[in-house]
Amino acid sequence: MLRIGDLSRSFREGQRVHRVLDHANAQIAAGEVVAIIGRSGSGKSTLLNLVSGIDRPDGGTIEFAGRMISALGEPERTLFRRKHVGFVYQLFNLLPTLDVEENVRLVLELNGVHGAAARERSRAALAEVGLGDRLHSAVDVLSGGEQQRVAIARALVHEPALLLADEPTGNLDQDSAREIVPLLRALAQRRSAALLIATHDPGLARSADRVLELIDGRLQTRAALGAPS
Amino acid sequence: MRLPWAALLRHLLRHPAQLALALVGLALGVATIAAVDMATASAYRAFELSIDAVNGAATHQILAGPAGIDELLYVALRRAGLPIDFAPIVEGYAAIGDRTLQLVGIDPFASPAFGNGASAPGALAVRLEDLPRWFTQGGTVMMAAATAAELRLSPGQSFPLEVSGRTRSAQLLASFGAERPGDETLLLTDIAQAQEWLHLVGHLSRIALRVPAGRDGELALARLRERLPAGVEVHAVGSRTRENLDLAATFAVNLQAMSLLALLVGFFLIYSAVSFAVVQRRAIIGVLRALGATRREVLAALLGEAAVIGTVGAVLGLLLGVVIGHALVRLVAGTINDLYFVVTVSRVTLPASSILKALAAGIAVALIAAALPALEAASSNPQLGLKRSVLEARATGALRWLLLASALLGAGALAIVFGSTRSLLAGFVALFLLLLAVAALAPAALRASARAAAHCLARASPIARLALNDIAASLSRTGVAVAALSLAVCAMIGVALMVDSFRESLHDWLGRTLRADVYVTAPGPGFARPERRIEKDVAAALIATPGIIAHSESRRVRVESKAFGPVSLDALTLAPGSYAGFQLTAGNRGSVWDAYERGALVISEPLAWRLRLGVGDQLTLVTARGPHAFEVAGIYREYGNDAGTALVSRAVYEAWWQDDAVTALGLYLAPRVQAAGMLARLNAVAAGRQALMIRSNADVRELSMSIFERTFVITRVLYWLTAGVAALSLVSALVAWELERSRELALLRSLGLTPRGVAVLIEAQTGFIGVVALLTALPAGVLTALMLIDVVNRRAFGWQIDLHVRAQAFAAAVGVALSAALVAGVYPAWRSARAPLAQAIREE
Repeated sequence: MLRIGDLSRSFREGQRVHRVLDHANAQIAAGEVVAIIGRSGSGKSTLLNLVSGIDRPDGGTIEFAGRMISALGEPERTLFRRKHVGFVYQLFNLLPTLDVEENVRLVLELNGVHGAAARERSRAALAEVGLGDRLHSAVDVLSGGEQQRVAIARALVHEPALLLADEPTGNLDQDSAREIVPLLRALAQRRSAALLIATHDPGLARSADRVLELIDGRLQTRAALGAPS
Repeated sequence: MRLPWAALLRHLLRHPAQLALALVGLALGVATIAAVDMATASAYRAFELSIDAVNGAATHQILAGPAGIDELLYVALRRAGLPIDFAPIVEGYAAIGDRTLQLVGIDPFASPAFGNGASAPGALAVRLEDLPRWFTQGGTVMMAAATAAELRLSPGQSFPLEVSGRTRSAQLLASFGAERPGDETLLLTDIAQAQEWLHLVGHLSRIALRVPAGRDGELALARLRERLPAGVEVHAVGSRTRENLDLAATFAVNLQAMSLLALLVGFFLIYSAVSFAVVQRRAIIGVLRALGATRREVLAALLGEAAVIGTVGAVLGLLLGVVIGHALVRLVAGTINDLYFVVTVSRVTLPASSILKALAAGIAVALIAAALPALEAASSNPQLGLKRSVLEARATGALRWLLLASALLGAGALAIVFGSTRSLLAGFVALFLLLLAVAALAPAALRASARAAAHCLARASPIARLALNDIAASLSRTGVAVAALSLAVCAMIGVALMVDSFRESLHDWLGRTLRADVYVTAPGPGFARPERRIEKDVAAALIATPGIIAHSESRRVRVESKAFGPVSLDALTLAPGSYAGFQLTAGNRGSVWDAYERGALVISEPLAWRLRLGVGDQLTLVTARGPHAFEVAGIYREYGNDAGTALVSRAVYEAWWQDDAVTALGLYLAPRVQAAGMLARLNAVAAGRQALMIRSNADVRELSMSIFERTFVITRVLYWLTAGVAALSLVSALVAWELERSRELALLRSLGLTPRGVAVLIEAQTGFIGVVALLTALPAGVLTALMLIDVVNRRAFGWQIDLHVRAQAFAAAVGVALSAALVAGVYPAWRSARAPLAQAIREE
């Protein structure tokens, strides 16, 4: 479903050019859970930004369900992201000016779903993550784990085919992290969505179907985690 | 409400102070525009209504020179069998206490076809039973019921009436219901009574006509014209009103320009508040974009929000404008009365067009102010989320473009000044370009100054270096603050220098022109009203008072010119010492006055400018003997009348206009005769005969200067409004800047800087910005003053004013710049000193 071919992206830092991705290649099937690991600054977040259409590659291709995302202009990439991608961030990125239910419903409204239908779907999504009783709470009174659940509900409420998670447990305590990972995986699989997780967390990476490591800008398959390769 | 909009808008609602700043800036700018419009429109409307109230359904009027129309002409015309209705009118002004009314003498049996104008008293409810007393009882008058109630007069009551310096006894015959606003200014009396009171026995001020429409009317008018003697002409009603209003048009344009300046400065305040609001929401915008909100949607949300703020601010501004307008209308009407025409504003109106204009200006300014930050926010990549560093990099990158823009704006201003010679609009455009050039230059000046100062202080204090580098590195905030302040301070210095220069030039001119020791003037409202005359026996007695060795006589009237509408004429008999009082700017000094005595005109600079006349040109005036072309022998400097004046020898005037009245006398005293003692003697001579304004030379100068100061009160009000908006703009931008870097300030505190040290640091930074704004604005302010004096004033009025630079002119600007800068630092300093350190460091 997702095909990454010879993907390259560089950033200029003063006089120096830092090549973050250098002809990276990967293929991810529908419903598959893939973990991307790598050291800090290896390009994990950059890869997710390119796949979601937030950023544009310098070279290479990103093909999603037969559509060449890397060739799209900015407005089309935004519309692609809005419809097909759900994003879960390390820092949750909930909007403090909206309540819990509104944060989730926001994505539906952007996709043209309004009124009772939108409210019904966002409530259902929140019920799935166990927050059916916190619909109208302000987001900044929630715990970190609860905020990340809202973020997961928001990422999945519009039934995207691709779910991206950038260090989803990076800002959570151990207990919350333990709860979030299976939830994310279960909800993605229930929707047959491909889940791409960028993480430092070996535990989280181990729960993936497949692990890809970013080394020198390239994606390499890791057979198993926990043991030295 | 759509959720993406709600997400953005709720942030603003959670920061009401910030929202209030944007609304205040917008409201003040719009209020100034609305108030100026309201004041000028109300004064104009009052004048038009007062004319309409007298004219009623008249379509034309017969007019003659200052001596009026011989009443036998009216009789002859009525008997001519023309298909035209005629109504004779004698008019002037009368005062009851402090209230000035339009005294209108009418013939109640004149054509009832004039509708509800004063020329048809039947429509004004003169009851049949009142008619005998109207004709037989001396001093009977009628006025609107509302006016009578205001003056606490009831029918049958007698009261004193002041007409042309004489106190007359009047009696209220009856009152009528005012059908239109202008009716409230009318004081109706019988035409014979008005002739007596206004010294117009045997004459009429004008004859109102009702001419049928179409071909028949044109033929009738042609036949009427054939019957008119020389010097008597037919004019369409309204054309004269328009000409009078045109005289004050430049005054209104100047006021509107000042109000636009307030809005321009307000623009920076709005920009500062709106851009701060956008930058504060960079995280929200970033998330919205990451979730799939398109650039267009984000842009629409931000601009929609600006439009809402613009609408609310404009509506608030309109309401505030109505309040300011009520205060301003008195000042505007006062200036119009001093300089142009008599007007009593009883109703204040804000025309629909002004409401639309103010609303459009407010919304447009809010949209333009929001456009730049909104475009920047919407076009950024979502993951950048408008980081401050990105913004600052862009702001610094924009500097070279701003410098280029400043140079182009300055060059544009110069090109306009030298490329056009007369256009006032072009003059104002050039002035605004110059001000914008200063605003565009200021951020670069600030950055360069801050970096240079940081370099110099590097060894002395790392904290000072940090503070100065912060200023240079935060141009997205500090640049806006310094631009707004420089623009306002530059405009303030320019206006202050212009007013000061004008004041000094006027002072010099008065010293040179006022040669007589005592001046006697006939009282009454309005410049050059024909009924203002010193009675002959009183004038003779005054001149004969022992101790007076010479005198000059002046008759000030407004006469018709063939090509240019009404022209103020001053017919003078000059005393030997008077000639030196005229500072000639064109004409042969050796022969000007000989030519003048022979019948040529000497005209003032404003008249020469307005009518494009030079020495040797001819000006055709309508005299009692018909149109006559007068040669212009010289041009003299004059600041007394911005519409301009033509001097004509009194003997020549009497011959051409058959009017021997005197409006004013200049009396020259024998050596060692004191003016104070002479004033008492002259007052004693006039006592009981005619109330005259008898003033010493010093008193006239003082009065002239006070009229000058009154004229500029409006400018001063607008000047301080602009200064207020600039100060708010600075406070808004600097508070935004300080709040954004709370974390950095907290870090300094955590490293050991005391709360007091932080406060001093912030005050030093805002003070530095104030000083740079001031230094940028000082030379530009002098340039602005030159532009105002040599371009705007010259083109508006034809005045040549010498630039006078005095330190006092800079005092207010220095005060505003420094105090606003220091006040702007107070809240952030207080906040930073009190903020809990741990929380401030955690916050981003």
